[in-house]
Amino acid sequence: MNSKRILVMAWENMKQRKLRTSLTTLGVVIGITAIIGLASLGEGFRLGIRERLQQGFELDVLIVIPGSFTAALREPFSPEEVDNVRNVAGVTLVAPVITLPQGKLINEEDRKLNAFTIAAVNFSELSQVYSERFVPIEGEIPDPEENNTVILGYKSCFLNETTQLVHVDDNVTMEIELLGLPQPIKRTLRVAAILGKSGTPGITNFDYWAFIPMGTGLDIVTKEAYNIIVVKVISAEKSEQIAEDIEDVFENPYSISILVPTTFMRQVDRILNFVQLFLMAIASISLLVAGIGIMNIMTVSVMERTREIGILKAIGAKSRTVLAMFLSEAVLIGALGGVIGAFTGYGASYALAYVLSGFMQPQGDQLFATPEQYGMTINPVFTPEWTLIAFIFAIVVCIIFGMYPARKAAKLDPLQALRYE
Amino acid sequence: MCALLEVRNVQKTYKMGKVLVPALQGVTFNVEEGEFLAILGPSGSGKSTLLHIIGGLDRPTEGEVLIDGINLYKLGDNKLAEIRLNKVGFVFQFFNLLPRLTALKNVELPSALADDSEKESIDKAKKMLKLVGLEERMNHRPTELSGGEQQRVAIARALINNPKIALADEPTGNLDTKTGQEIIWLMKKLNKEKKQTFVIITHDPSIAETADRIIYLKDGLIEGIKEGREYEF
Repeated sequence: MNSKRILVMAWENMKQRKLRTSLTTLGVVIGITAIIGLASLGEGFRLGIRERLQQGFELDVLIVIPGSFTAALREPFSPEEVDNVRNVAGVTLVAPVITLPQGKLINEEDRKLNAFTIAAVNFSELSQVYSERFVPIEGEIPDPEENNTVILGYKSCFLNETTQLVHVDDNVTMEIELLGLPQPIKRTLRVAAILGKSGTPGITNFDYWAFIPMGTGLDIVTKEAYNIIVVKVISAEKSEQIAEDIEDVFENPYSISILVPTTFMRQVDRILNFVQLFLMAIASISLLVAGIGIMNIMTVSVMERTREIGILKAIGAKSRTVLAMFLSEAVLIGALGGVIGAFTGYGASYALAYVLSGFMQPQGDQLFATPEQYGMTINPVFTPEWTLIAFIFAIVVCIIFGMYPARKAAKLDPLQALRYE
Repeated sequence: MCALLEVRNVQKTYKMGKVLVPALQGVTFNVEEGEFLAILGPSGSGKSTLLHIIGGLDRPTEGEVLIDGINLYKLGDNKLAEIRLNKVGFVFQFFNLLPRLTALKNVELPSALADDSEKESIDKAKKMLKLVGLEERMNHRPTELSGGEQQRVAIARALINNPKIALADEPTGNLDTKTGQEIIWLMKKLNKEKKQTFVIITHDPSIAETADRIIYLKDGLIEGIKEGREYEF
């Protein structure tokens, strides 16, 4: 008997027992819904997080520092070392930075600005590297560079949305305490520009920074010794390779650290992947439960249909034909449940995303936060691979659990089955 | 020329707990092509067991059965299923139709099992139903048919694959006398017109009387063989 006719027969049989078939299928539907729902939600969640991270990191920008992030293991970088980094293949831009320790900025009313880091940089270099972040909302970035100016991070001069400590073209006093000097060095700087909110909690959040031109900085520290080298590379994909090449230009690569956002992203991705797989493994349990339901129902069904099986075998059906007939029912239940479950799974993921997104909106009065900045929306993602895998998984589970009752049916002795009442 | 069916020294012993119960104690006979044979015996004489063994449903403890020269019990279960499918047609006392299938689907079944195309098996099944006079009722389920009609469907199903031999186990046992008679007439007609070989078992001498030949079975042994008379119908 060819497989098409066996399938048709199985389908006819299932139609005769609508309630039973639908309840058995429902088990599969729930399992697949859980798997696909979590898969597409997880994928959406992952993309959401990645997007958030990308807002905090320029993926094609590496940050080179001497020593580790918590301790300097060596002298700051020399101009030669900066040039060596500049010459590494794949490096498109280099912006060395001198951070001035123990510095503060004071406005004309003698109020201290929230500039926690004062950095001497080349304005045009930095604005090229961070073309989306190093952008003023007030004033202009002086070009050509003009000594004794300052560019302020958003929160260094805005205490909140309405209270602004300084404006463009105001003067601020910078006080730098240098080791060995009894008095702090004072400079009066003109506020040239105020940067827009970085918003994101990334490592290169400039909100509490203040930038002064390299000329002014060197005038104070007198030594060209850079604490940070910001490196823009040709592409995010190659950033890890280029980071390795950069390490190689230093005499002792172990004495420096390079922050590679791509590596970090990959780690986060890996963790998210694991979490997603874990959730799906839990969801799979429901499919296994559905499988046991199928086994249960089919075993009952084989008992009920013993006589029918006896008739089939008596008129010449082979054991494998009987096996195929019962397995077909299991496969059809799996396929039906898989298809319905795929739809309900995506439906469920959208519903869940809607609910979860509500929870991820900012709660109460976060510092300066606006919903666009801190709220996160999840958009479930349709993944054909997961859909296919879930569908196949449903059928496989049904075959595995249908196998026992189907074999039981196939092995029945025709005469005994015929006598069964 | 060898006979269509050869039954050679067939014995069957059942085990009931620790006791061995002999059902058949060495039965030997032949059936020729086109014959209408009745096996007559009281209940417990072993006639049903014999029919099952002839039809490849039950393996004998001893002895051989040959249909069309094929020694059935040298075959494996799958090959035996093929014999039941292609060489033998069964008609049962309780009809044994599949309750959820229509008459047409029931008749089609052996043809479908034999891998005929769907169109082919539908055509054949319709032809068979016409032959047994049920073409009008082919879309009815067994529960919507009378006992006589159900047995006609069963006969159509038994014959759809053109079996060498049709085996009927008390085909009238579950029918009233008149309907039973009609079923016998139908089988006799098919025997005459299609040269279809029949072996029927019965405990009713008046049914057995209609056969070409009667084998009397008692306590698992052949007690006698009698040539039947030409039956007018």
